[in-house]
Amino acid sequence: MSVSVLRGAQGKDEYGLIRTVDLCRYYGSGPQEVRAVDRVNFAVEQGGFLGIVGASGSGKSTLLNLLAGLDSPTAGRVEIDGTALSDLTRRNLAAYRARRVGIVFQSFNLMPHYTAAENVELALYFTDIAKGERRSRSRDILARLGLRDRLTHRPADLSGGEQQRVALARALVKEPHVLFADEPTGNLDRKNSEDIAGLLTELNGEGLTIVLATHDLDMARVCAHRMVQMEYGRLAEGTADSQGPGDRR
Amino acid sequence: MNTRDLLSIAIGSLQRMKLRTFLTVSGVIIAIAAFVGMLSFGAGMQQSISKDFDELGLLSTIQVFSSSNGDASDSTAARILDDETVGRLAQLPGVNLAYPLDAFQVTVSLADTQVNVSAQALSGAAAGTKFYSRLAAGTPFTSDDAREALVTSRLLERLGRVDPDSLVGKPVVVSAEIASLDSGLVHMFRDADPEGARRLMDVFLPGRGDRSEAKEILQAEMTSALQRFLNGYMRANAVVTDTLIVRGVLDDRMGGPWRIKPLLVPVRTARRLSPGDFGSSPANLFAYLNSGARIELGGEEGSRNYPHVTLNLDSRADPNVVADTLEAMGFRVFSYAREFREMRKFFLFFDMALGVVGFIALVIASLGIVNTLVTSIVERRREIGILKSLGADEGYIRVLFLVESGTIGALGSGIGIVFGWLITRVASVASRIYLNRQGLPDMDLFALPIWLILVGFFFGLGVSIAAGLYPAARAAAVDPVEALRSD
Repeated sequence: MSVSVLRGAQGKDEYGLIRTVDLCRYYGSGPQEVRAVDRVNFAVEQGGFLGIVGASGSGKSTLLNLLAGLDSPTAGRVEIDGTALSDLTRRNLAAYRARRVGIVFQSFNLMPHYTAAENVELALYFTDIAKGERRSRSRDILARLGLRDRLTHRPADLSGGEQQRVALARALVKEPHVLFADEPTGNLDRKNSEDIAGLLTELNGEGLTIVLATHDLDMARVCAHRMVQMEYGRLAEGTADSQGPGDRR
Repeated sequence: MNTRDLLSIAIGSLQRMKLRTFLTVSGVIIAIAAFVGMLSFGAGMQQSISKDFDELGLLSTIQVFSSSNGDASDSTAARILDDETVGRLAQLPGVNLAYPLDAFQVTVSLADTQVNVSAQALSGAAAGTKFYSRLAAGTPFTSDDAREALVTSRLLERLGRVDPDSLVGKPVVVSAEIASLDSGLVHMFRDADPEGARRLMDVFLPGRGDRSEAKEILQAEMTSALQRFLNGYMRANAVVTDTLIVRGVLDDRMGGPWRIKPLLVPVRTARRLSPGDFGSSPANLFAYLNSGARIELGGEEGSRNYPHVTLNLDSRADPNVVADTLEAMGFRVFSYAREFREMRKFFLFFDMALGVVGFIALVIASLGIVNTLVTSIVERRREIGILKSLGADEGYIRVLFLVESGTIGALGSGIGIVFGWLITRVASVASRIYLNRQGLPDMDLFALPIWLILVGFFFGLGVSIAAGLYPAARAAAVDPVEALRSD
């Protein structure tokens, strides 16, 4: 399947660089304090594919939530093209999530009462795209991800792999500048995991910047240009410059 | 996202929790039905009275009463209502017509039935006013001296008739006892004790009796003369009988201050039946004497004095201005427009009291809305998290929940108004049956004017949206990270 169309009219990314500066996210205080993300510094080039690997509870998902603007740092900052997310108003932060980034979760997070097409279309509700255009774009992206005959199916009627492809379609339909994928294959079998990994690789090949959080080191090695490893909320020493075999740029 | 998308998502959410939505909407329906039903009763009463006022032309009607405040030095101290005054009142700016209440007691006979009733002399012009326009059958008088009469439906019943048409064209015999100054004077002299004159002469002739004895004799003779006069005035009445054709039957089954006399007789025909002068009551005579006016003995064509005069005003005239003018002239005034204004104040408080009861019902229903939406937040945490991850800001989530509470309110209010209307229709039918059985006029005690529909709808909608404020704020504050992590 060619995914070149998914990049569509996006053209050149405005968000050439994602950078974190001493990024911290702590929960609780005093002896109960948990440092989910602790002074993390890294950067992602435009069109890059960063793999964040680490065991469960190492802080990968928290880091991804901070990058996606779903969570606010305790200290430090996330910069997108030189603009700190913490400087954005709530409305602009919502607009950032609506237009600039796509997010894929391990548990799919699809609306259970909506059909596959409605779930994908929902991602365009918060843009200025007209209803007719929304509908056609949703159907197109689902068709190109191999779900042409699943448009009117609800999530409960789809397999895990199909649900994750619907979630991926929902993230891609808005033509984001960055895709954040949080354990996208965590609930999938090997075949579906390989399919998703292949899709991500193709999308990155088309120029989409991707940040992948996974505990699957093999997958990260296959897909990512670069990997960082997280341990107890920190980047493990010596991993910041680690180059995976997927670095073909 | 446009309004249509928002509505689509909100209605979809409500549809998914059918039973809970149904129960919550039912609460609003019951509250709005009660609210509308109660205010409909107030509106119906007000509308019914307004209709009567309008149909009878009462808002442009003023009744003028003679007055006496005992201050003889004041030119406005006492005002009597005689024919001359009636003529002057008719000339006042804004007054179309002035006609007096010339009432007297008569006996009406139809076949074997005889009833004693009050009668009223009425001119053709007065009979043509809205006040006397409610004819259940027949037509008004043909002329002021026609041997005709109008009877009220109450008199119709007392005469043993039910169908108004059955009496139209039928003759009734009307008889009246006439009391007048003439008969009083005749009795005062005719019944005089011949010895009285001699006693008076004895005490007043020079050299006879002392002064105190003269005073006593004078007082006794004066008292005796007054008693004889009053005897003659009140009791020694002549009986006058006439046969009149019933031209029409007036519907007068309503109560209130505008109750009219059971028998209406053309004004010139009534002169033969009316006691004239001061009526049968000596009180009218003494009031007249107190005014300082000179008594002129009247016959059929003489001047008369009336307890009150009714003024029919031009539709452009301000009843309050005319009433103020009359009061400045020294008359006592009863203005229906003023009464109506007071009634409206009463109805305002009445409606407010009913509205408070409805409001309490709606507040209770709004607690159901709060409960439904708060429960919905718990169940939809993940959905809220997904929406936020897709770009929904807090404002959107807040509006989404307010649209849901507003949808519940709009549905409940709309259906509640229909239910309220149905309830009032049933109550209206029941009340009409009751009124008819009681012999009371047929009237609709309930009304659903446009303003009440709008007030009911927007009141229900407003309270429902207000009830959604707290759940909406809670939903907007949901942390997307926590929400997406929840099962």
